[in-house]
Parts: sequence; structure tokens; C-alpha cells
Amino acid sequence: MSGKMNRRSFLKMMGWGGAGAALSGCDLPSTVTLEEGKEEVVSYLMPEEFVIPGVGVWYSSTCMQCSAGCGIHGRVREGRVLKLEGNPDAALNNGKLCMMGQAGVQGHYSPDRIVAPLMRSGGNLAPVSWDKALAVLNEKLGATNGDRFAWFTGTISGHQLALVSNHLDAMGSTKHFAHDVVNNAVSQAVNKDMLGEANPRLRLDKAKMVVSFGADFMGAGQSPVHYAGQYAKFRTAKQRGLLVQIEPKMSLTGGSADLWLAIKPGTEGVLALGIANLLLNKIKVSDAGIPSGVRKLIDRYDVTKVAKITGVAGHRIQRVAQLLTERSPSLVLAGATVEGHAHGYDSVAAVMMLNHILGNVGKTIESSGNFPFPQLMAKQGNTSDLVEFAAAASGKKLDAVIFSGSNPVYSAPAALNLSDAIGNIGFKVAISQFMDETTALADLVLPAASYLEDWGTQVPATQAERSAIYVQQPLMEPLHPDTRGLGDIILTLLKQRKTAEYGQFDDYYAYLRNAFAAMPAAVKKNTKNNNEFWDAALQTGVINLDVPAKKLKSTVVSFAEPISEVGDADANGLYLLPSPRMGLLDGRHANLPWLQEAPDQISKVVWDSWAEIHPTTAAKLGIGNGDKIKISTHSGSIELHTVLLKGMHANAIAVPLGQGHDDYGRYAKGLGVNPLKILDATRETKTGELAMYGTQVQVTRVAPPERLGIVRLGSSDTQAGRKLVVTVPVEQLRRTEGA
Amino acid sequence: MSLDNILNNWSDYRKGAEEGGHHDYEHRWTMAINLDVCIGCNACSVACYAENNLAVVGKERFEKGQAMHWMRIERYWDQAADMEHPEQGASFLPMLCQQCGAATCEPVCPVAATYHTPDGLNAQVYNRCIGSRYCSNNCPFRVRYFNFYSYYESAWPSPMEQQLNPDISVRDKGVMEKCTFCVQRIRTVKDRAKMEDRSVVDGEAMTACAQACPTSAIVFGDTMDESSAVSQLWKKHQVKRGTYQSTRGEKANPNLRGYRIFEELNVDPSIMYLERVREDV
Repeated sequence: MSGKMNRRSFLKMMGWGGAGAALSGCDLPSTVTLEEGKEEVVSYLMPEEFVIPGVGVWYSSTCMQCSAGCGIHGRVREGRVLKLEGNPDAALNNGKLCMMGQAGVQGHYSPDRIVAPLMRSGGNLAPVSWDKALAVLNEKLGATNGDRFAWFTGTISGHQLALVSNHLDAMGSTKHFAHDVVNNAVSQAVNKDMLGEANPRLRLDKAKMVVSFGADFMGAGQSPVHYAGQYAKFRTAKQRGLLVQIEPKMSLTGGSADLWLAIKPGTEGVLALGIANLLLNKIKVSDAGIPSGVRKLIDRYDVTKVAKITGVAGHRIQRVAQLLTERSPSLVLAGATVEGHAHGYDSVAAVMMLNHILGNVGKTIESSGNFPFPQLMAKQGNTSDLVEFAAAASGKKLDAVIFSGSNPVYSAPAALNLSDAIGNIGFKVAISQFMDETTALADLVLPAASYLEDWGTQVPATQAERSAIYVQQPLMEPLHPDTRGLGDIILTLLKQRKTAEYGQFDDYYAYLRNAFAAMPAAVKKNTKNNNEFWDAALQTGVINLDVPAKKLKSTVVSFAEPISEVGDADANGLYLLPSPRMGLLDGRHANLPWLQEAPDQISKVVWDSWAEIHPTTAAKLGIGNGDKIKISTHSGSIELHTVLLKGMHANAIAVPLGQGHDDYGRYAKGLGVNPLKILDATRETKTGELAMYGTQVQVTRVAPPERLGIVRLGSSDTQAGRKLVVTVPVEQLRRTEGA
Repeated sequence: MSLDNILNNWSDYRKGAEEGGHHDYEHRWTMAINLDVCIGCNACSVACYAENNLAVVGKERFEKGQAMHWMRIERYWDQAADMEHPEQGASFLPMLCQQCGAATCEPVCPVAATYHTPDGLNAQVYNRCIGSRYCSNNCPFRVRYFNFYSYYESAWPSPMEQQLNPDISVRDKGVMEKCTFCVQRIRTVKDRAKMEDRSVVDGEAMTACAQACPTSAIVFGDTMDESSAVSQLWKKHQVKRGTYQSTRGEKANPNLRGYRIFEELNVDPSIMYLERVREDV
């Protein structure tokens, strides 16, 4: 280590900066040399003695198919990765992996990958050499600085984030936009205000009852495999856990509910107030800690009024309130459908208040502790950054932007006018594996390695009982020699700005080796030296951390009436629910044929978009099952076929996210529509998030059903009296299995 | 197994379950699927595509019922017709080859391409299959899938073919295929155990679907091994192999949740399902 740098800036460079002092005894430096890193730069795929042709060897790494960051094992045979499975050493997913994780190999081997750098010349993107691409990049980034330069990413964490932040510092910029359509930004804001932590640990496995207001925690949530594992424990506990799901459209999680209640979109907060009213005024639970304004608000919402507004029957509300007091500890959750309105914060606050009233905080909601390395903690994507970015672009406030891991041009509502605004940015760089809507508009495209070819560390925002850093290592040599890892690319950019500091690292691998060597000794306690620690980290794929414990506060913030003044009074208003599904998610997996061919869990449709609508609503509008309809808003319209489902509120029409790509390879091409485009750009009042579930639409019938309009798995929705899936009452289970 | 063996001992291979079956089984690979924790998420199904070289057929062929999903999740709505909403959620059913002990697909195969292995598996010999599709027609579970096309020509455009599992083949046009309980994984485990001169340990052989399942709803193992988790489950739920049970008639405790689909058909499925539970609120 050169003597030029002090300890603090060294730690910052290596990603351990910030409050890392919580873990003392950093065994820095004299041993941390470039030479040490170099010595070990041997492709780990050089045949080792244990590599036998025809025998698969499993290596640990980390899944990047969504932001959950599950640990994986990849089966490598003859130098190719063939199959991914969950890593049993990863507490987050416990050896399990969802459909999106399984399909990771398809993205890696996709025939539509970008295999060489591309630069715009004469209007078209044409291949260039890396040398040329990097020279242009150096020149363009050298010509700007400060906040006129920005990074635009998805949810990002670990050392890649540390390097992005360090690059922004080097550029003198503070602009890191992080965008994810599937996010819980509003809940994070509420949690921060009420509990003191944005991402506390939710413990379904400790709850006797879960009441979920639209939280699709096992489907399109923040960590679906983790929560599915917890759910299995919740269901198989001595006293079988009771799941009540309240949402305007049945989600994957809702499909497993003991009681599923349809609620009018945007009225979830009112229902929470109604339950609070019963708890405080009828069941006489203490109202300690509830601000007087909120208390008054609660008193205004008696059951009759709430039933009228929400569409949930009064006796159901009373029963749920009653059960919540009988089954303690419980857990009350708020999800995307609650967050996605102008009054989203207030609604989520009303829902989360129930945990305070019921005494769940500290029991089923725990602190995730003080994560010792704040520099590595996930920067979670949201939609307010998307709006800010669109504004900055239209205001011509950006000279150069680097995009990675996000596709804002696809996900931005047309009302934000992003595809035009983006033209105002002088120099757009996309680091991408695939040509997508955003990459297609870039001036320079850098072909990214797949996550199965890349190094990295991931720090998921949702952590298991034990916090950990998840390690990502290449499972094979790059499929396309001209692609480069994200870490390598950022490091190259840093070298262009800070040669003295970063010049010592040959590549991202060398950087990570050094970073691991510089990791505080407390983390490495069971290993003899840095090499052993590194090997152990790669072998298990997980660095478990003893995170200092913390206690959550249990408070209730003052919040406004969780109902919008206009719209909610309109009994016939139809809300568009642009719902993400486990599968294509926000559209990022539309290029994976396994996921296109995997039927939607609830509607069972494949290879398409469709509109889910309740039969009574459809009848009112003169629409039949499979009809082609037109859904119109102020910002445009989409045409697609219907699927009549009873798992819908009468005032809701749901269109899954993921399809309608203009530019995303052969498998996504020509399929379906993108409902995000026609959303209003209304924002949540307190957080500035897009109110994704607040758009009201007009629906008209266009044409009768046609062949290939809707293609579904199975022809029957009922069992026709056969005993295929037998359902028994819980009392029977209690008699036999003591649940 | 040679064709000679089958032809010479045909009656042996066709001995019904009532007569105790025909095999001195070495293993009986078996499954238990707990429908109360199955959330219908499709992880098992996609894991199966990844493991078993299943072809993606596309929208048009899917519509014709030509999809190759060896493991599929069926979804039923059980609420009464006059209910406004499905208040108890959906009924999910992972459906795959039940590896019947007295399989209806086996006797109808004109060329003995589908037969019963000493592992209790209902095997499909691809290079013996002539594509009569009688087996598929005779399967009550609809879990046999026919290659109407040469999918290798289009389903894995380069470099996707590099993902194909070299442990098993890619099937050609005119051949029937179906779930094998990941026979290649079983094979590997058995070989390893043999080399190490020991028996197969419970949990060592694991199908891709059971491995992936986020809620561990699927338990796979050998019921010849009485200590295996799956044996314990079958025993606990008093579901027996072989003879016909009038669904619950023979159970000492009829309230136990274990059942086999279409028990009344007497095909002796190797998969026991545990009933879905709902609490009336």
C-alpha cells in the first residue's frame, strides 16, 4: 500500500467506509499489496485436479435476477454453467431458488446478447473496439463534471455500489438515480419514521396471524424466496398460521390466503383505520403512543362507514379485528397496492400503525441491526428517482449519464416524456447485456458480462436472521470475449479519473481481493489468513456478519386522512393495476423463454399480456371473457384481451407488467402491451414516488374473442367434482397433526 | 433392460398391483407434496425445464396443447358458483408423472418403450418409442408429452444449446417424453454410492423440483428406506403403496391428510399429496 493515502480514505476506496468502526480491529495494511493480489490472479477455471470431464462441480455465487440477492450454486461441467440451485449456506434463501433465479442461465446463454461495444455514428449504433470506446468515454466524461454527470442504475449494492459512489465522487457529482418499478420505497419511508429503520426484519415465522394489505411477499416482493421459506414455517407451526390477504387483485400470495378480501383500490388505509377503531374503541386495546390527531381520525371511521368506503363487509372487518387480538403476535403488512396512490404514505402509515397497537413491533418486526458497512448497503431503486431524472433530462441539466441494470425508457409512463427528454442528454452510456429500450437510445453501449461471468458482492436490503454479504464469482469464462464485468468497467472509469489510487488494481478481481484483505479482522475471525478467508468466502458464497443488535422504536407518526379527495367518491371508477408478477417481473425477464412459457400463477396465461377483470364489472361494460378491449387514460391507450377472474375488486382492472417491449430480443418481440406507458404521472405526496395504482381508466370493448387471443394452461377452472386438490378445514388438521 | 427380457417375461411385467406387483424392487422412488404449503409459484416447473432439456414451444403450439411442461402447476377455483370472490384463495396442484406402480401407460405400448424399472420408476425408452401415443391417451393424469416437432432445430438457438444438460438426451420428433423423477440424478447418486460401497443416503437423490421448492412442499426419497423422510410421511399419513383403498376406507385415521389422486383407478401412484388446509374465518 502506498503511503499516499490515509486509513479513512483507503477504507472508503475499498467499500468499508462509514460507520464500519462498529466492527473494530481492521487489520490493514502492510500486507495489502497489489503483488499479493496479482499472485493469486489465476483463472479459477484452470482445470484443477478435481475437475473431471463428465462430472459437474458446484460453485457458489449470488443470484442477480431480482434485487433479493439469493445465494446460488451453479453446476459447472466442462467449463459451462448448466443449472442453478439455491445455496444452502445462504440464510436468505436456504438452498431454494425461485423460477426467475432458475432461468438465470437463459439470460446468460441468450442468443440476443450484445457481444461488442457499440457507438452511435450517423444515427446508428456500430461496433467499435474497447480502446476506442474507452477513449471516447474518457474524453466525454472529462468534458463534464459535477451534477451534470449522473449514474442511473437499478437497485445496486456491495462493492459495485461502492465503486459507483467513488466514481461519482471523482466526478464531483451527487447524482445517482436508482430506479426499480418493483420497490417498497413508501413503506421504507413509513418504517423509517415509525420504527427508525427502513428495512426491518419481518418475521412471518414468528407470527400466528398475518394480515397482508396487498403485500405480495412470496411473489413480486422484495425477497420472495426468503419470505416463502418463512411462510412454510408459519403454516407448519404447531398452531398453523392464519393468512388474511386484502387487496384489489389476487396476487400469488393472495392465492394462498385463508381469507382473501377484495378491497376498493386506494382505500386500504381506511380499512386499517376501521380495524384500529374496533381495536381501540370496542376491544379496548390501549391507544398509548397514538398522536391525538390520528386518534381523532380513527374515531371518525366506524365499521359501517369503513365497509361502505372499502367494499369489505362489516362482519369481516370485525372478525379480522377480533382474530388479531386472539392470535398474538401477528404481523400486518402493506404492499405495493397500498403504496401506489397519492395518499400512499398515509395508507401505509395507517396499516403499520396496527402493528404498534397490537404490540407486534419487537416480536414479529425486528431490527435488522446496525449493518457495519453502510457504503455497501443496497441503494434501493424507486420511482421518484425516475421522475427526478426525467425532469433533469428535460431541463437539460445533464451532460453525460451512465445507465446500468435498469431500463427507464421502458418503465417510464409516457406522461413523463422520457424518451424525448433523454435526447437532451449529450452523452448516454449504457452498460448492458441486451439491447433494450434504453440501450437503443444510448450513444455508447458497453457489452456487460452476465452475472454468471462476473465478480461482485451483494448486500440485500432484506436480510435473513443473520446479516451477510453475498459473494458473486464467475461460474465460467466469458461466453463472449468482448464483454466486460460491471465492476471492471467502473474500475476502468475510476482509473481514468483517479489513476494514483486505482491504477494499482489490474482488474476488479484484484480490487476485490484487496478489499477482502482489508476487511475488518472481526469478520475474518475463523480463518488464519487472507487467502484462507478469500477461499472460504468463495466456497460458501456468504460472509456472515455479527451485526450489532439494535432495538426498534414503536411509534405512530401523524398522518393525514388516507383517502384521496377526488376519485374515491366515484363508485364506478375503474383503477388500472399495473401488477408485477413473479416471472417477467417488471419486464426485465421478458427475454427469457422459460419465463414466457411459464403460465401466470393466477390467470394461467402464457406469452402475452391480458386484462383481469371481475365478471360483474365485465358484464356491466358488456365485455365477455377473452374479448379484446381498449383501456384508455389521459396518456394513451392499450388494447388487449380479457380474462374474467373473481379474484378482483369490481373497481379494478389488472394488467401484468413485463410485455410490450419495442426492443428486447427475439423472445420479447411483438408480445403484449406495456401498461406502465399509460399511467398518470401522479406522485405520492410525501415521498414523490409515482402513484402507480392510482390511474383511473376508461374501458371499451373492441372485438370478440379470437384464436390465440389468450392462450392458457388448462381448460377447466374447476375440479368438476374430482378429488384433485382436496381442501380440509383447519379443525381437522388440529385433531390429527396438532396444528 | 433388454427387449428380449421384456418379451420373454411379459406376464411378469404385467402382474397387477393386487398380486403384489412384479418386482424385487431395489428402490421405490416416491414423493410427497404438501398442498398446504404449495404456493403455486412455478419454481419447480422452471427448475424442471432447466434440468431436463425441456423445449419451449411458443404461443401457437402451447395453444394446441403441445407444451412440454413435465411439471405443471394447475390452478382451480373451488368457491361456490354464486360466491362473488374466491375467499379462500386458489387451489394449486403441482402435476407431474405419478410414476404409477400399476401404470396404465405401460401395457398399451406396442413396443414396450415404457416399462417399469426396478427403482419403481415408469421409464420411457426414447429410442424404442415409435410415437403411437397410446400411452399418452391412456394416462389419466395427462402428464405425457409428445414431440410433434424436432425442437432441437429451433428451441435452443446458439449459444443456448450450451445450457443443455449433457446427462440426458434432447428428444427428437415422434417421441413421447415425460417426468423421470430426474433419473439422471438418481443414476449419479446410485453410481457414487456403489463406488463408495454403501447404500444411498436419504436426501442424496433429489429431483430438481423438490430441490427448488421455496416452501419445501415437495419431499422426495426412497420408500424402501424406512427411515427416509418420505417414508415417514407416507407412514404418518397412513397411505400405502399397492392395493386399492377406497380413498380413506383403509386408513385407521381417516382424518389424516395424505391421499393419492385418482386412487380409485387403482394405478398405485408414487405421489402422495397432503390435503390443502383452510381456516374458515
